[in-house]
Amino acid sequence: MTELGPLMASDNILDLSWSPDGALLAITPSTGETLIIAEDGRVHERRPEHGLGNGKPAWFQGELVTCGFDGKIRFSVGRECAPGRGLIDRVRTSPDGLLLAAGQGKDLHVFDKSYRATSPFPPVSSAVMDFAWNPANSSEIAIVGAGGARMWRLGGQEPYARFDWGGASLAVDWSSCGRWLVTADQTPSVHIYDFSRDYPLHIQGYEAKVLAMDFSSDGKRLATGGGPVVTVWPCVGVTGPEGVTPIQLDGHDGDVIAAEFSPATDQLATGDGTGALLIFTFQAKQVLRKRMRRDAGIAALAWHPSKPVLAVGQSDGRVSLLSLEASTCTPRETR
Amino acid sequence: MDTTPVTILTGFLGAGKTTLLNRILTEEHGLRIAVIENEFGEIGIDHELVINADEELFEMNNGCICCTVRGDLIRILGSLMKRKDKFDHILIETTGLADPGPVVQTFFVDDELKSKLHVNGVVTLVDAKHVLAHLEDSSEVREQIAFADVLLLNKCDLVEPEELHRLERRIRAMNALTEIHRTTNAAIEISRIIHIGGFNLDRATEVDPHFLEPESHVDEHGHEHHDHEHDEQITSVGIQNDGDCDGKKLNDWLSTLVREQGADIFRMKGVFSLKGNPDRVIFQGVHMIIDAANGGPWGKRPRRNSLVFIGRNLDRAELEKGFQSCLV
Repeated sequence: MTELGPLMASDNILDLSWSPDGALLAITPSTGETLIIAEDGRVHERRPEHGLGNGKPAWFQGELVTCGFDGKIRFSVGRECAPGRGLIDRVRTSPDGLLLAAGQGKDLHVFDKSYRATSPFPPVSSAVMDFAWNPANSSEIAIVGAGGARMWRLGGQEPYARFDWGGASLAVDWSSCGRWLVTADQTPSVHIYDFSRDYPLHIQGYEAKVLAMDFSSDGKRLATGGGPVVTVWPCVGVTGPEGVTPIQLDGHDGDVIAAEFSPATDQLATGDGTGALLIFTFQAKQVLRKRMRRDAGIAALAWHPSKPVLAVGQSDGRVSLLSLEASTCTPRETR
Repeated sequence: MDTTPVTILTGFLGAGKTTLLNRILTEEHGLRIAVIENEFGEIGIDHELVINADEELFEMNNGCICCTVRGDLIRILGSLMKRKDKFDHILIETTGLADPGPVVQTFFVDDELKSKLHVNGVVTLVDAKHVLAHLEDSSEVREQIAFADVLLLNKCDLVEPEELHRLERRIRAMNALTEIHRTTNAAIEISRIIHIGGFNLDRATEVDPHFLEPESHVDEHGHEHHDHEHDEQITSVGIQNDGDCDGKKLNDWLSTLVREQGADIFRMKGVFSLKGNPDRVIFQGVHMIIDAANGGPWGKRPRRNSLVFIGRNLDRAELEKGFQSCLV
């Protein structure tokens, strides 16, 4: 393993985001400038902070689009808009790269490639906590908040699907095949929705609220972190995770804050608030684990889109780039 | 406490919340305060941290208020707490239509927020000139009064003293625990807003015994009458009793009570004497959530149980009977 860095941002690392071609990495701290660096660590560009705090950016039309607590979206230097009132804590690009969505209060704004705002559906009934594009269909988007998840098609007046729940869902992710949707809840639980059967699963028993979750690139595994144990659910077959004992990966000392599957190798990287960083390699009959310790809590992780390179962001503002090989992992018993 | 205090500011539109916020943000108190503003009241100050957020309003036609938390606040506050520069205080300004219950519950239910924040108190602003009309029409106004640790009876310059007195009595009948201040232009020492300790179990929960007695007045013949001028749905019930409680029975009674009537109990505070325990035991609750702590030794104080419920459709006789069953 080789390491590049550390680089230093001004605050806790809120987000790390590689450009689609992997040439650039955006480092977004909670407050302060966003840095765009090249793979060799050189600073390529600095973006001014959003007043009151930054949101999570996205790459769109070859540029980094930033957002923040000032309620503004910056498409590039000199091009910004304030689509409504209230903070914007993230923007996301559609899978086909042609649209950009931003949640603001009860509105989900969608911008086309000419940066024009469209109103693809009416305001939703509760504040947009999080949203996710359907990786298999760029005209579908899931919005979560109080009351569960609602799935919309652009141009629709009503959600085409909904999964109701009495509490608030705080985060959402959608598998690459479009079959599975997962939401992290206000309670130590997740909901996993199976679109093929129109079927919701409510999975409880986590030690703490689930703060990290990610589907593998083939959509067959879902990693969730609620507490110090990483629970990996199989999302295959007719019933997926229902009735199945998940893989439970230990090794963390504190609550898991970040979990990311590598698009290139399907290794799973997880990090916790004490600074423990784990890399898991899934083999046929075992899971290999590599454990590392950083000198501050892990705040964000991002794998390079095509190489086994992991960007690691810490709560103290440090960012490192780790080049990893699968053979360096140690076999571990799974439970 | 190492956690950051949070004050929740509530009150009907026009009661003076923005005026109060502007005061707090312009005074030289030396505190770094973050404000989460839901009312979009156009705070006229270019303050470094006033965050506009679209408020979550719940329609509880069929659902249970007891489990409801403010997911939007969990996300915003979670983000604020990760920043390097910490805040001395956080103020959440809710809209006039807000139910304070879910806001308060958020800080008791979410472990991540609980570890970093604590509720300092609920400050409710009331427009003394217009509140009577709102009291009849708006359950939110009644609940905002019921939840208040500090209540500013604002715009007092527009109301006759006698009317103010009647209004105070009516508010007191609803909320026996709140500290009422008469204000004009929301003028009040900031320390009364910032240092409330309304949910601080370390503080002695002293309740004025007067407020534990049923409302009454004396007519010109010296006869006492109970004041039934207003049939308030929201009332306060205070119970005071010497003697020791059986800890298990008390715990069972309170648990059953909040489970069955939690939706109607807005606040509950109590100081209890448990058999065999030399220390005071303090409980406080919001809907179905109960918190308990050791209140320190009784020392020379009489071992007197006192508890107050603030809520809707409270049955004093049933509550007294239930508590009596816990006594040894």
